[in-house]
Amino acid sequence: MKIRQTVLVAFVFLVSWQLSGQEEITIRIKEGMPMIPVALPDFQFTETSLPNNEIKNLIHETLWQDLEFSRVFKLVPREHYSYIARFNASAINFKDWASIQANILISGQLEIGADERIIFSLKIYEVNSARFIFGRNYGGKKDLCRMIAHKAADEMMKHFGEKPLFTSKIVYVCETGSDKEIYIMDYDGFRPTRITFNNYIDMLPSWSANNEKIIYTAYRHLSPDLYMFDIYSGKTELLSSGGVNYAADWSPGADQIVYTSSKDGNTEIYLKDMKTGQDKRLTFNPAIDTSPCWSPNGREIAFTSQRNGTPQIYVMDAEGSNIRRITTEGSYHDSPAWSPDGMRIAYVSRIEGRFDIYVFNLKSNDIIKLTENAGRNENPSWSPDGRHLVFSSNRSGKYQLYLVDYDGRNIRQITSSGENKMPKWQRLLK
Amino acid sequence: MKKLVVLFMVLSLIMLFTACGKKAAKVAPVQGPVVEKVEEPITQVEKPYLSEEEIFQQKTIEELNKYQVLKMINFDFDKYQVREDMKPLLQANADWMLKFSTVQVLIEGHCDERGTIEYNIALGEKRAEAAKNYLTSLGVNATNIKIVSYGKSKPLVHGVDEATYFQNRRDEFIITKK
Repeated sequence: MKIRQTVLVAFVFLVSWQLSGQEEITIRIKEGMPMIPVALPDFQFTETSLPNNEIKNLIHETLWQDLEFSRVFKLVPREHYSYIARFNASAINFKDWASIQANILISGQLEIGADERIIFSLKIYEVNSARFIFGRNYGGKKDLCRMIAHKAADEMMKHFGEKPLFTSKIVYVCETGSDKEIYIMDYDGFRPTRITFNNYIDMLPSWSANNEKIIYTAYRHLSPDLYMFDIYSGKTELLSSGGVNYAADWSPGADQIVYTSSKDGNTEIYLKDMKTGQDKRLTFNPAIDTSPCWSPNGREIAFTSQRNGTPQIYVMDAEGSNIRRITTEGSYHDSPAWSPDGMRIAYVSRIEGRFDIYVFNLKSNDIIKLTENAGRNENPSWSPDGRHLVFSSNRSGKYQLYLVDYDGRNIRQITSSGENKMPKWQRLLK
Repeated sequence: MKKLVVLFMVLSLIMLFTACGKKAAKVAPVQGPVVEKVEEPITQVEKPYLSEEEIFQQKTIEELNKYQVLKMINFDFDKYQVREDMKPLLQANADWMLKFSTVQVLIEGHCDERGTIEYNIALGEKRAEAAKNYLTSLGVNATNIKIVSYGKSKPLVHGVDEATYFQNRRDEFIITKK
């Protein structure tokens, strides 16, 4: 009888162990999941619309690039469309689209008024079942063409159970000459907007949990301090005093920030309650402690510490206890960035004078290298869906911002004027 | 037979010469060539001499900083300990600051570009702090010193060699008040 019980316990244990193992496998399958083949034929104008091809092509091209970037959808090559009859929104021949391997068909129609106001109607069809899945109408002015396409791409993501990211923004520092100011741009590098005009050194911006505020560091009064800028009201508020203050990261719960400060005489990590303004010191060490970064569940903080001689990545509980070292090899690591799914930490390593971006998997302890043999690569930041990262690199001579997928594929440059550094991607849009 | 005679003659000649050489060396040392001494007549131009006190009185803060009355110090790669060869410079800075004790000084810590932005700010501050501690250990009043770190955002020189990096890994001593 006793033996049977132990066997049963062992069996239950095995099953639960297998289940947890299975969970991990499911996620891996998701990442390697075949992408959904999508056909995106040319958009059509309504009968009353102005035939403005510039607007039509811009929306089409932007949507095309978004979907191609997604790693969720795969676009059926344009040249395959010539094998079948031209797309006709009022009489869709689904068999034709099935014959060129499309699973999803996107139909777009434009109504462009004399004042260049646009109404874009999006319709999504499932090809094999010849079924209309969903549709949306977007209205806006000519200068918002790209935004209309990004909205449509986000809608596609949401409909297929993925997180939207195409309307998300990136905050960064742009240097022109000796001036270093903060800018915000679309995820793909378009529509940059300058948000600081102060002629000080501005650096290391980061988003608030609701994406409405930006905390950055500025050398306004000789020593660098943290400032909080409200995007909607335009107001700036001083958050710190005494010593060097920088590298703030807002908690996912929105009520706290962690940051680096030397106000007590040594660079340590502090937690600030954003409601009361109270500071709590988290690290107590004569060495350098810096670059704090929240885990997405708000329970842990990754940071850089030189307590064992060289800068390494550590993780501690949000109260400052239970400190564990994450990086074990190499002698220089910094800039940890926790992935939105909580499973991975991206960071920068210096190995033989080269700076590259690595991703550490907290479950499997695997490390993958995202950049190779191309300049100095710094300050990684994850996309809201965790499939991409933005980072800065001087591979082209000057520092510019680049996007890369979680597995190191599809590196592309998104900025080109001035020098651009320290990018931070917005969090998941609600 | 002929060969033997020749060999004998050669040998005796060699012996004769070596004997002569030795004798000559012992008797009279070889005289070097005649060297004409080249001299330039000293011009009697008097450089205007200013004492440290006069410099301090006459110059503005900007000029004092420009002429670096307080000397810059450099650091080893990834390190923030004061190098042995930089200690005399700090000693000179301390002496000057003790002499003109009303002076307020800002120590700026800087790094070379071979580090991350965040870590370099911390490293630069450690460098500034190391100099501050050294100066206070020599008797300089700590309230006369402020420190700041610019990390790698203000390189002194641009380049990608060790000499450039060495120049950029530095503490600058900026006089902010006389």
